[in-house]
Amino acid sequence: MPNCQTKYFKTSDYDEASVLNFPAGLPGFESEQRFIALEQPAHNPLVFLQSLATPDLCFVALPVLAIEPSYELEMDESDLELLALDPSETPATSKGLLRLALVTISESGITANLLAPIVINTASLRAVQAISPGQKYSRQHPLREVVREAACL
Amino acid sequence: MLVIRRHPGDSIRIGDDIEIHILELSPSKVTVGVNAPRAVSVTRGEIALTKEQNLAAADSFTVDRLTDLTGAVRRVL
Repeated sequence: MPNCQTKYFKTSDYDEASVLNFPAGLPGFESEQRFIALEQPAHNPLVFLQSLATPDLCFVALPVLAIEPSYELEMDESDLELLALDPSETPATSKGLLRLALVTISESGITANLLAPIVINTASLRAVQAISPGQKYSRQHPLREVVREAACL
Repeated sequence: MLVIRRHPGDSIRIGDDIEIHILELSPSKVTVGVNAPRAVSVTRGEIALTKEQNLAAADSFTVDRLTDLTGAVRRVL
């Protein structure tokens, strides 16, 4: 089994059949096309998107539905093509799409990018960062908001 | 901000060598064509913003802070 250097966990074994293929890379990282998704029990529910080409590049992500259970995925046509989704399916109905939001720490705290989630076709493992055509969600969705709401209950 | 009203078929010039053509209108979309020198990067605005956010995300965490982040996320979700 091949292994790779990772940013956070030294080396990690991975299965070639589980490598995520981003045909267009990600904005800012256009040449990064191969990632693995690492999950660590100690860091659950975080998901780590580790680049295979660049050990020092690893995005920290969360399942979109863990942040926003009623999240409605919208994708434009060019992103849908990159994903090679079965034509009989739409992003809204497909059960075969995994959605992850990239997490950032900034002055405003911990935020997740719900406007441009990573969408993974679990059948083909093709993936794309789908910038939602609407303005429904935030690029910097504060994770703390959930705490405040919970505190009000 | 400069605001100009244009019809389909009209164009706008920026400097000597950038031209924006208004090609088509639909109720909710405008299709534009951009002619610009190769050296000028032409990108959809939301891609540039996503790029900035991705660069910040890639640079957000060190190994030492991961445990704190995990704790914070577990409290929140």
